[in-house]
Amino acid sequence: MDWNAFLDGFVVVTQPTNLLYCLIGVMIGMLIGVLPGLGPAATMAILLPIAYNANDPVSAIIMLAGIYYGAQYGGTITSVLLRIPGEASSVVTVFDGFALAKQGKAGTALGIAAIGSFFGATVSIIGLTLLGPIVASYALDFGPPEYAALALLGVLLVATVGNGNTIKALVAASVGLLLATVGSDSFTSANRFTFDSLQLQSGIDFVVVAMGLFGVGEILYNLEERHGKPHVPAAIANIWPSRKDLRQASPAIGRGSFIGFFLGVLPGGGAVMASLAAYAAEKRVAKDPSRFGRGAIEGVAGPESANNAAATSSFIPLLTIGIPANASMAMLFAALLVVGVTPGPQLIEERPDLFWGVINSMYIGNLILLVLSIPLVGIFVKILRVRPAILAPITALITILGVYTINNSVFDIFVMIAFGIIGYLMKKTGFEPGPMVLAFVLGSLMESSFRRSMLIFDGDPSGFVTRPISGAIIAFIVLVIALPLVKMAFRRRTPVTPTSEPIGSDDSDQEAGVR
Amino acid sequence: MRKHLSLGAVATVAVVALTACGGVQNTAGGGSDSGEYPSGAVEMPVGASAGGSSDLISRQISQGLADELGGSFPVINREGANGALAAAEVAKAEPDGSTISVQNASLFAITPLAVSEDEVTSIDDFEVVQGVSRDDYVLVASKGSGFASVDDLAGATKKVTYGTTGVGTGAQLACALTFNVNDTPAEAIPFDGGAPALTALLGNQVDTACLQVGEAIENIEAGKIVPLSVFGPERVEFLPDVPTAQEQGLDVEVAQYRFMTVPKGTPQDVQDAIAEAMQATFETDEYKAFNEQNNLTPMEITGDEVVAQLEEDKQRYADLVEEYGIDLGDAS
Repeated sequence: MDWNAFLDGFVVVTQPTNLLYCLIGVMIGMLIGVLPGLGPAATMAILLPIAYNANDPVSAIIMLAGIYYGAQYGGTITSVLLRIPGEASSVVTVFDGFALAKQGKAGTALGIAAIGSFFGATVSIIGLTLLGPIVASYALDFGPPEYAALALLGVLLVATVGNGNTIKALVAASVGLLLATVGSDSFTSANRFTFDSLQLQSGIDFVVVAMGLFGVGEILYNLEERHGKPHVPAAIANIWPSRKDLRQASPAIGRGSFIGFFLGVLPGGGAVMASLAAYAAEKRVAKDPSRFGRGAIEGVAGPESANNAAATSSFIPLLTIGIPANASMAMLFAALLVVGVTPGPQLIEERPDLFWGVINSMYIGNLILLVLSIPLVGIFVKILRVRPAILAPITALITILGVYTINNSVFDIFVMIAFGIIGYLMKKTGFEPGPMVLAFVLGSLMESSFRRSMLIFDGDPSGFVTRPISGAIIAFIVLVIALPLVKMAFRRRTPVTPTSEPIGSDDSDQEAGVR
Repeated sequence: MRKHLSLGAVATVAVVALTACGGVQNTAGGGSDSGEYPSGAVEMPVGASAGGSSDLISRQISQGLADELGGSFPVINREGANGALAAAEVAKAEPDGSTISVQNASLFAITPLAVSEDEVTSIDDFEVVQGVSRDDYVLVASKGSGFASVDDLAGATKKVTYGTTGVGTGAQLACALTFNVNDTPAEAIPFDGGAPALTALLGNQVDTACLQVGEAIENIEAGKIVPLSVFGPERVEFLPDVPTAQEQGLDVEVAQYRFMTVPKGTPQDVQDAIAEAMQATFETDEYKAFNEQNNLTPMEITGDEVVAQLEEDKQRYADLVEEYGIDLGDAS
């Protein structure tokens, strides 16, 4: 590993402007983490034009990254105090966090969550620091066949293991794939679905779509959902957890960090999935599972460590091979494109300042978050009282101005608003825009890589299986598809009591919780 | 200032309206007396994303024009369709010097070979003001392919794959011609621009690729990829050891060059003002250093010479493509 580049990264981060951007990023992240509704992907969408206009692209990316992992801290606060998950990734924290708050141990829950978050994130950054360059060194072995397989896996995973209804997610993903075909075909320059419009010839701009679906869509949806109900947060006392609490929580923090790190790297994974998996794991290893839901400290420590670890480790696929693992990473992908950097294997060599600058900013950002998250709880809770009727027009205005500045195109504003309305209707009918956006990004990559592969293979598709990396990915895809089918067949053969497997109820629970 | 401007505009409109039947087009907005140009901000659409050579050149020229003429010349990125979107915008802009653009030769000379009739951008919709610079293509081979010269290609035992920077680009044409003239079985693999094509080449995913010199030079100098040929009329200053295709007995000459355009019908004095300011910019040390740094060869010829060159290239490319039965529009 190139230690010099790594250390130079710290030089980049400790420049006053970058420190400031990092601070602003994590503060905004924590703030929107507190606000139920506005998620990190939406906020990054709204603030994306800042990347375009910043003097130094590195600063902008540092800030946007800060929003993502900062949101993981903020989301906990409302989960514990108000029983409202501020973020999708803090849904499971509600169960035990709020129970603890009712017992007057809100401070303990928040303290453990902050410590767990910091630990999980730090473990993950160290993993990223050590593993990132190794993955990047193999990245040149990633040719078109590998990209095609990886993109397919990403679309499949995001649609099947994400939160919410699988069928609806698959539908959304398919629409995303279809949208990706619009524009001039880059192999034959034939026009597809352009309706003779010169504007559509270069395809629908991904940034504009994402800003519409996440940004405008969320704003519209929130406007309807939150009628300014007064929130009465629980009182906080004694933030520092006792030694007994810490002893009880530390194995959970360790397990959560581990689970989070690995689930974050997977395409389609990320903070939400990691927190769910960590909660399930804690429940399974606990001696007395019945404590969960009634204020088990592990039920807060595990998921909170996991979602931070995952938020960090999902930078690995983006920064090393240029594949966004989840919707928020897709926004960061867009931000990199906006500043003229193509994320991919060349990044670590061509822009070490950016690669290491962003990674090292996370060490510092998490330290800031640990120090700030507890004292600022009171202030953040007050912000919840800002009425959406005031917040929404401001964010809408920022979004519209922002999208115009990217391409100086009025056409883009209308495209964004159209997708905003689509996003709103999707949320209303229970479709998540996440799979659609990710499928849209990965769709063109999947198609062009597949066609490139077929040209390289001279028309023989067996090459996908015989190349080691793409072969392994394909095997994994088969596993992902086959596993539920096998399970289903197995279940049909062995009659179990229908109440023991609450499969259907999971979905509705999560959907209600997820913004 | 703003008030003064709008008063002027009102006055101009009034004059135009009064003299109704026209013939006084040159008194419109952008200013007619060369001493007056520019009378407001001049937009410079560029048909490429920020950071690429087209964008960098536009920005350098924009800076030069602002220094020489005063006023501001904001560059606006309008990427897509190999520059056709930006071109369309310039073509339909007011012909008064308020919209000008540095455009690529490939859009006019090569892209027509790849796209359907109604998508062709014609140079007749523009006035060409001044040539700018040339950006050469280079054929490079991956380390793993074992190719060290163009002659090795002819002796290839299996189909050779070549990465291109997209359909209808000079890179695709240069590579396609090389392999066809040489009668080597080959397959074009189009990528979205130079960077991904280079990455694939570095990873031995493709055997060869045609790239712009600026995109490839770092890795050539680092010895990670092997240059086989350049496609200009003479060797490239930045790669003195790499022979031209002509030297190696291949009748292939393809180059990318850029030039300043304004909408058809822009007054001559405005064109002259722009050309003079550009020539003054070319003389500055800053601009010369910029060319050096980006591996650009100056091609500071007059607008008429550019048009003549474009016509000649377009015809030559069309003939070559026909002779060797190459279909640029159908890479698969």
